[in-house]
Amino acid sequence: MSESDVDSLSDIDTDAKSEAERHPSILLVDDDLNLALDVANSLTKRGYLVSHAATAPDGLTQARRGAFDILILDRMLAGEDGLTVLKILRQEAMGKPVIILSALSGVEDRVRGLNAGGDDYLVKPFATDELVARVEALLRRTDSHRATLLQLGPLKLDLIDRRVWRGDREIELLPREFKLLEYFMHRPGQIVTRKMLLEDVWQYRFVPETRLVDVHVSKLRRKIEAADEPPMLLSIRSAGFMLNAPT
Amino acid sequence: MRLPDPLRTSIFRLTIFFALGSAATSLVLFAFIYWQTAVYERDRTASLLAQEVAAVSSETDIDLRRAVASRLESDIHHVAYAALFDAKGQLIAGNLASIPPGLEPDGVVRSVEVDRDSKNGDRTITQQRILAVAKRLPDASVLLIGRNIDELRNLRSVVTRSLLLGVIPALTLALFAGAFLSRRFQLKIIAANQTLRRIMRGNLHERLPVADKADDFDQMAVSVNQMLDEIERMVDQIRGAADSIAHDVRVPLVQMHTRLERTRTQYQKSGDINAIVDHALSDLDVALGMITGLTRIAEIQDDRRRKAFTTVDLAEVMRSVFDLYEPMAEEKSLTFTISSGQPQPVRGDADLLRDLVSNLIDNAIKFTPTGGTVAVSVAENTAARNVVARVSDTGPGIAEQERGAVFERFYRSTTTQDIPGHGLGLSLVRVVCDLHGFDIRISGAAPGATFELICPSLS
Repeated sequence: MSESDVDSLSDIDTDAKSEAERHPSILLVDDDLNLALDVANSLTKRGYLVSHAATAPDGLTQARRGAFDILILDRMLAGEDGLTVLKILRQEAMGKPVIILSALSGVEDRVRGLNAGGDDYLVKPFATDELVARVEALLRRTDSHRATLLQLGPLKLDLIDRRVWRGDREIELLPREFKLLEYFMHRPGQIVTRKMLLEDVWQYRFVPETRLVDVHVSKLRRKIEAADEPPMLLSIRSAGFMLNAPT
Repeated sequence: MRLPDPLRTSIFRLTIFFALGSAATSLVLFAFIYWQTAVYERDRTASLLAQEVAAVSSETDIDLRRAVASRLESDIHHVAYAALFDAKGQLIAGNLASIPPGLEPDGVVRSVEVDRDSKNGDRTITQQRILAVAKRLPDASVLLIGRNIDELRNLRSVVTRSLLLGVIPALTLALFAGAFLSRRFQLKIIAANQTLRRIMRGNLHERLPVADKADDFDQMAVSVNQMLDEIERMVDQIRGAADSIAHDVRVPLVQMHTRLERTRTQYQKSGDINAIVDHALSDLDVALGMITGLTRIAEIQDDRRRKAFTTVDLAEVMRSVFDLYEPMAEEKSLTFTISSGQPQPVRGDADLLRDLVSNLIDNAIKFTPTGGTVAVSVAENTAARNVVARVSDTGPGIAEQERGAVFERFYRSTTTQDIPGHGLGLSLVRVVCDLHGFDIRISGAAPGATFELICPSLS
């Protein structure tokens, strides 16, 4: 195990996040109780408040009360279409982020889900860590996309001239490495899963070898972490990666 | 598709056959009518002549001469012959110089050749066939009465003319009708054939066109359509069963995965358990990969995806996949090259084509030993109007007899058993190729293998 590896999600210090924010609350609408329990456990462990609804009408009532930061919505709710619930909520100007869970993996299904107002679409079955990572990504979505200069600790990214520095040292990156680093810089301190990288950076939905992502990340890591510099880009076992300011 | 010559269809040949048959029937019918008319005319003339000779021969000598003369005078059509010869055969009266050869004076009607000696001053002698009867009278003189039967010849020419006038237009009509029918039928066949080909390519929900006329062709189309309904229902059932099995198996596998992860987190300090859990996790990953691959192949096979086809630059797809895999090749110290050049537009689904190329390149990198070469190229074959994408490696290659089998699901060559994988990559390649109507070929690069993707060019 290399120095930058972190063994699991639960090892990661969540203080930085919870200090700045109140405990975010999550509304989970899913009729699969086993899955709901699993997800609720993982999210509670990470400091979230989770409320649960098992049916579409119950979900709609709870959602209208508005006491949540993120809605996790199963697409198929005991014979009812979760997308209908989502459409109603969006018509009522509910602007909070929504993650759709679905057993339907087709491209069209995904597009339909996102068109109905979903911010993310996760195909069942999934690893709970993957869902947790997506929840965090949505909660911490910032306006950094409009910035032209990104900075995290000593790391500086000039998005106009496409140049990168760590402290005074300028780092030469290939275009694809720059794109990858930019993605991490927009999500400081967040878990970024392999799936997220494949989908967002390379626009892949299916790749025969997920080790590909590791190869790209480790190449990038070698460039931004010189031998004497403290690690910034961590591998989080079973979940993905995280870019942090060095402590 | 080349339109076959409408004159070569079976229906056209059939029409011609019937037209010729009916022409032959008319010919026989006309011939029969002619023959019957001729026989009747001849018999009638013959019996008239026999009666006449009998009546005239009973007259006295002077009356005989008068009878011969009056008979000839009243004959305004110059069809009658009458003559009276003495016992030595010398003409006494009449319009024949001598008794024609072959005519016996026995009162029997015969057909003979005579020299016609024109009465209107024209001395031209013409040979004519006449029906004649001769009878020896009690005074040994011979009475001859005859009649021209050229009319029968006229009848024949009338019959022939009407035959030609009737049969040739009928034949021509039959020809046009045959060509028209054959063209109509052929259009139906072409439409049906095109539909069947699309069905064979995987558009299982297409159906043969059925007109409301309910003719034999339509009835066949209806039966074929019913058969297709049944096949589609069965295929859907099988696919549905496979999908739900895959899905049902995935759920416990993912739960097992989560539990193992949790176990590892809880017992972090015990190295032995960690090793076992890691092993179990990687086994699970292989199983999950298989199931994901299978469900994905089933998803791609749904030909409705074709509706989403757009123009895709294959060269750009190759470059983006190359870019994704470059670090991996670098890590394995492979020489990894691409030659792409100009845009190569093809019709397809960009995501699927990227998957296809990814699989080919992934395999090439996986199977090429350290220090080897993987070369990727895409170029237009202008002569064949194709775009050809190539992925060559210097790996162990694929034996000739294995080149079909590698595209089958879960097939893994015995020579590559120790390389991780689930044997679905090339099945996916084949399914994507089939969906796009692309061709994929494997050849040897000595050493190594070359995969050639051949796509119809759009430029």
